[in-house]
Amino acid sequence: MDFLTSVKLAIYRHFAKTGAAPAPHDIASALGSTPNEIQEAYGQLRANRVLLLERDGVTIRMAPPFSGVPTQHRVAVDGVKYFANCAWDALGIPAALHKPGTVYSRCEQTMEPLELIVSEDGPGPSTWIFHSLVPAAKWWHDLVFT
Amino acid sequence: MLFFRSEERLREWCAARGVTPGPAVSMAQLWGLAAQWYGTRLEPSARRPGPDEMRQIFAGLGLTGAFWDPQADNF
Repeated sequence: MDFLTSVKLAIYRHFAKTGAAPAPHDIASALGSTPNEIQEAYGQLRANRVLLLERDGVTIRMAPPFSGVPTQHRVAVDGVKYFANCAWDALGIPAALHKPGTVYSRCEQTMEPLELIVSEDGPGPSTWIFHSLVPAAKWWHDLVFT
Repeated sequence: MLFFRSEERLREWCAARGVTPGPAVSMAQLWGLAAQWYGTRLEPSARRPGPDEMRQIFAGLGLTGAFWDPQADNF
C-alpha cells in the first residue's frame, strides 16, 4: 500500500474510532512517520478531493462523511458520537461504518428535531426529505456551503 | 444539504430566501446515495466516484436531469 493511501486510511480509522479529526502527530505516530510528512500528505489528499482542510493546512475540516468541526448533523454509532458535514453524510456515517446508528438533526425550516434510527440496511420508512440547493456540478466549488 | 420535514416546509424555506428549490430526495433515495458513496470509504481501495459512476448512481436511484449531472454547464 502506498504512503498516501496509508495516511488516508489512518485518518479515516481515527475518525471512526474517536469521532474526531486526527492531528498530524496522531497519524505520524500511527504510521511511524513525521508530522511534516503527514502534513505534506494532507495537502495531496486535499488536492485529490479526499479531505477539506482549514486555512492552516493541518486541521481537517472534512473527511467525508466525517466532520472535524461541530455541525447540526450528529450521529451516534456504537457509543461513539460523530458530526457529519451535511444530511447526506449523516446517513453516510452508518453506511461507512457498516453499523446501525442514530442520526440527530432537524428540519431547517421549522427546527423540528429529527431522530432517525438507521439499521445496516438503512432507515425505516420516513416522510422526511433531503434537499441540496447546489447542483452536482458545483458541489466542490464551495463544499462548506454545499 | 439539509433535511426538511416535508416538501411544503422546503418550499417555505426556499421562498423565504428567494431561491428556487432543487429536487426533493426521499429518505430511501438518500440511503441509496449514502450507501453507494460511502460504503467502501474505510477500505484501502476507496475513492470518490468519477463522473460516469456518479451518473450511474444517481440514475439508479431515479435522480436524473441536469441537476444531477456532475459535468452540466447550464447552471
